[in-house]
Amino acid sequence: MEATFLLTLLVTFLASFIGYELISKIPQTLHTPLMSGSNAISGITLIAGILIYPEVGSSEVLKVIVLIAISFATLNIVGGFSVTGRILEMFKKND
Amino acid sequence: MIEIILLLSSVLFIFALKLFGKPSTAHRANTFAMLAMALAVLSGFNFDFSKYDAPFYITIAVSAIFGVIISKRVQMTQMPELVGLFNGFGGGASGAIAYVELSNSSLPISDYFVAIFSMAVGMFTFSGSFIAVLKLRGKLNNVNSTIANIFSAFLPPLILIPAVWDLEFFVLELFIAIALVAGVVRVVVIGGADMPVVIAFLNSLSGIAAMSAGFIVNSIILIVAGALVGASGIILTLLMCSAMNRTLFQVLKGGFGDTKINNEYEKDPISTSPEDVAIQLSYADSVVIVPGYGMAVAQAQSAVKELTNTLKSKDVEVKFAIHPVAGRMPGHMNVLLAEVDIDYEDMFTLEEINSEFSTTDVVVVLGANDVVNPLARTDETSPIFGMPILDVDLAKQVIVIKRSMSPGYAGIANPLFINDNAKMLFADAKEGLENIIKSFELV
Repeated sequence: MEATFLLTLLVTFLASFIGYELISKIPQTLHTPLMSGSNAISGITLIAGILIYPEVGSSEVLKVIVLIAISFATLNIVGGFSVTGRILEMFKKND
Repeated sequence: MIEIILLLSSVLFIFALKLFGKPSTAHRANTFAMLAMALAVLSGFNFDFSKYDAPFYITIAVSAIFGVIISKRVQMTQMPELVGLFNGFGGGASGAIAYVELSNSSLPISDYFVAIFSMAVGMFTFSGSFIAVLKLRGKLNNVNSTIANIFSAFLPPLILIPAVWDLEFFVLELFIAIALVAGVVRVVVIGGADMPVVIAFLNSLSGIAAMSAGFIVNSIILIVAGALVGASGIILTLLMCSAMNRTLFQVLKGGFGDTKINNEYEKDPISTSPEDVAIQLSYADSVVIVPGYGMAVAQAQSAVKELTNTLKSKDVEVKFAIHPVAGRMPGHMNVLLAEVDIDYEDMFTLEEINSEFSTTDVVVVLGANDVVNPLARTDETSPIFGMPILDVDLAKQVIVIKRSMSPGYAGIANPLFINDNAKMLFADAKEGLENIIKSFELV
């Protein structure tokens, strides 16, 4: 248990570090698509919704709250990627 | 098998960020990120799709359709609002998941605190983002920051209420209410021009909320993706802050520009006409255009493109100087210019172009104000002193297209407007440019 927790912390640290290193190099021109793309990625919490939905049990209220979370996260992901695609399309055409 | 999918997904997310680094590869970044997300979602199901009922699938399908519709209908000038809106949804989702986990299962004590944290951050992001959207739409006026800050100081102690009155089962709901109110109060005091910082900061928080949700449900992919988003948001937040020479704390405290000082001008500015500007521009060898939020408000980017084409056809060199905090979100001006096919090779950052202004013939300031205010260099008492600005006052001639002499966000006069080398063209950005373009035909 303890070893897993430490490993998880290590992963957290490494992911933050890689993120920091990579994103520091992104030019100002691409900051908006970066924001909108990373914003879409923050909808990853959808997976948490998928994981816990079968386990909420008999409580209808909790079930509805998970569905709301799933709805929000899906909106975040689909809308976010779609709009990022639209923005990047504009950068593509002047290549 | 699941582990391999998750590993692949994490690697793809990281590659996606790497590809974001260059305009030429950035469109592939989105494809990679989408693929990574699809794999992550697949792993969540654990190959057992029968565990889920109809309401579940309907919710996903309907939300996905709405997401696409919203994203297709929004104009590029409204991009900051849209990012803010989606961000709020992401934060709200993480907060809701944390709430369900807290009320449903008996979490180990370490997870309990992570869940409380995730719930608070998620709900704060949710309400804060919606207030930011309203701010960006101009639907909310500034609230007095002193009163709001005193009020918010009283929020944390409210958490003790259940302990005092022994209201055990209301603890979580009260926590959510406090986080929601805190989000509203915090963002409502911050002015529109500070929104680049706020949007980036909320973006970071939504990543942190997702990351901590990952700890509760034991999902590595949530932790990896959440951490990546959290890092990206923090970098942009700090970049925006340093571009204004203010700390994150100073921005979040709000109230910037509330006190209007030194608002008077010593003399009248020289005003000019579209015809004169056209003549001036056609005799120039080099022109630098400085876009600001005024260009976005007036939707003037097409007119900018047309002017650029006209000038280039007359062998005038045209460059764009973009301040990091111009507009309402990081990179806002770049996107608007890219929308009308202006080459990103012609867009320059502050560091790249500042040394060139002294040899530039004409600078056209288009709806920008504080980011070209020379007081940032000269007046130690000025609220913007020390902020890196575009040194357009050093150019041979400056044309400022602006509707009036009203001060910018910082609430201070801009001596650039009455400089000897500067002329004012009093017009809305789009209308002003269109009149200049028309006048070219007569030159």
